[in-house]
Amino acid sequence: MGCYCSTSKKTEAQGYEEPTVLASETLCEYHDPSLNVTVSEVEALYELYKKLSNSIFEDGLIHREEFQLALFRNKNKRNLFADRIFDLFDLKRNGVIEFGEFVRSLGVFHPNAPLEDKINFAFKLYDLRQTGFIEREELKEMVLALLHESDLELSDDMIETIVNKTFSDADINGDGKIDQDEWKAFVSKHPSLIKNMTLPYLKDITLAFPSFVTRTEIEDSEM
Amino acid sequence: MVLRKVGKYEIGRTIGEGTFAKVKFAQNTETGESVAMKVLDRTTIVKHKMIDQVLASRTKIYIILEFITGGELFDKIVNHGRLSEAESRRYFQQLIDGVDYCHSKGVYHRDLKPENLLLDSQGNIKISDFGLSAFPEQGVSMLRTTCGTPNYVAPEVISHKGYNGAPADVWSCGVILYVLLAGYLPFDELDLTTLYKTFFLVSNGSIEKAQFSCPPSFPVGAKSLIHRILDPNPEHRITIQQIRSDEWFQKEYVPVSLLEYEDINLDDVNAAFDNVEDQRTNQPCENDDMAPLTLNAFDMIILSQGLNLANLFDRGQDSMKYQTRFISQKPPKVVLSSMEVVAQSMGFKTHIRNYKMRIEGISANKASHFSVILEVFEIAPTFYMVDIQNATGDAGEYEKESDFQYIECAFGLTFNSAKSNFKATLKSK
Repeated sequence: MGCYCSTSKKTEAQGYEEPTVLASETLCEYHDPSLNVTVSEVEALYELYKKLSNSIFEDGLIHREEFQLALFRNKNKRNLFADRIFDLFDLKRNGVIEFGEFVRSLGVFHPNAPLEDKINFAFKLYDLRQTGFIEREELKEMVLALLHESDLELSDDMIETIVNKTFSDADINGDGKIDQDEWKAFVSKHPSLIKNMTLPYLKDITLAFPSFVTRTEIEDSEM
Repeated sequence: MVLRKVGKYEIGRTIGEGTFAKVKFAQNTETGESVAMKVLDRTTIVKHKMIDQVLASRTKIYIILEFITGGELFDKIVNHGRLSEAESRRYFQQLIDGVDYCHSKGVYHRDLKPENLLLDSQGNIKISDFGLSAFPEQGVSMLRTTCGTPNYVAPEVISHKGYNGAPADVWSCGVILYVLLAGYLPFDELDLTTLYKTFFLVSNGSIEKAQFSCPPSFPVGAKSLIHRILDPNPEHRITIQQIRSDEWFQKEYVPVSLLEYEDINLDDVNAAFDNVEDQRTNQPCENDDMAPLTLNAFDMIILSQGLNLANLFDRGQDSMKYQTRFISQKPPKVVLSSMEVVAQSMGFKTHIRNYKMRIEGISANKASHFSVILEVFEIAPTFYMVDIQNATGDAGEYEKESDFQYIECAFGLTFNSAKSNFKATLKSK
């Protein structure tokens, strides 16, 4: 993960970074160079980024409202999970997602990205208060958020039952919180838990944003 | 005559009116084909607090259905007056068969009346609006807001007590039988208070008989059956099984199967399921006897729309996911079969595999197909979550949205029972 903080290229266009730099950066994160966000994918992501980052404020940066608009087709819809994702994408914690942050974070969602990265990302996502553990209260808070989002009402007893059951399965050492290793073990028992950490579209994003194909500036040797 | 058009459909007269929907005759101006168009007014639904934000944007939903050519049983009575004993009995037998079938699937109509009984080209009864009227607690408030009089509704429904769907439907069948034979209503009071008084002759605080009289023309057998049906006390009221063994009912009785199932090739069904854009299919679901999938707390969390980054990639019309969820305490098989009846009564095709149902239909503009996937999950012992979402389809954004909301609306009404019953049990704890 060292590459995250070490480089921060500034170019004239706000938030924009050279595709070649980004592609090589994401490269060093992955162990196998063939499992890489390619230069053409980075360029295609820029098409998507441009669209998202100018949807409300035309400043080339993704604001929270723009993120919500893209996820929910509604700029005012707050959601605990969308907020968590936004905060995790916003590596610099300055309230906006810049292009570099966008590419680096989405890289985790690439079908070829290492499973380990996906598991870790999910752990950070659910560790709401960033204590290094997923605590019982955090899990309950998330279940409540999902029920609320789905317009469902369950008794507190029932929610406790659901949370307790999951906790007794995941919290192996019984200390009342789920640590990284316990999370890894739990995910390997329930692999479907990280299915939303993979976006198949990232693989054919060049098809989804064909405008890239005509305005590409870089010869892509990896294709 | 004022002609209105929706898309390529010219709308004609109203051929039916329910609590939620109006059904209008409509004609495809390109092909001349006659269809039934179901018009749902969203504001009405919102007013009933059934569904709130999902029905916010546009005012109406139009659904094109097969036009059942025989018209309403109601029209027949209006135009021809009372029916003969044999004809009345035949309709009544078909009605009882249809209602019994739906009850066996756990669905109660609660709004049975001749206007909801359609006749097909062979003169057989089709019960309509089973889905839309499967409302539970809200029965009374909705009846008050509709313009019709609640003449077909059982006394226990009006009196605001908790009631069971089955005896309530039996009562309505009795009123319908009376109307078929007499050509007019047994209880023709215009307001609830008078109607209520008519139902109950209260002496010493105990319920006695409903006040009505049968005209002398009524056959003796029918008269005694009607009296056993129109018993204000739902616990003493005759049951469907007892009706079936009634001597008058038995005469010339040919049991009908109301819903004709198509011969579905199992391979087609499986292929249809496998095409679904749904990662859950990876999970083991081969065994027919298995229980529904159990969701742990994290499984539930990842259902959040906020965790579905695929929405960032706006892949055009196809990308929009509509989903809704309900909680039910009913056994999953009952949930599925209830939903099956509801979907079928709305004119959709259904395929069930394990705890998953695919609902297919023609989109409102009739130009494209759409499909919806419904799946039952266990979230805690005896607690089930029903997840409903649209599958791939080539319908445009608007059609997809309205089709989905139409289904959501109908299912939501059916499931409200689970939701509100659940709240009630909580309070009583």
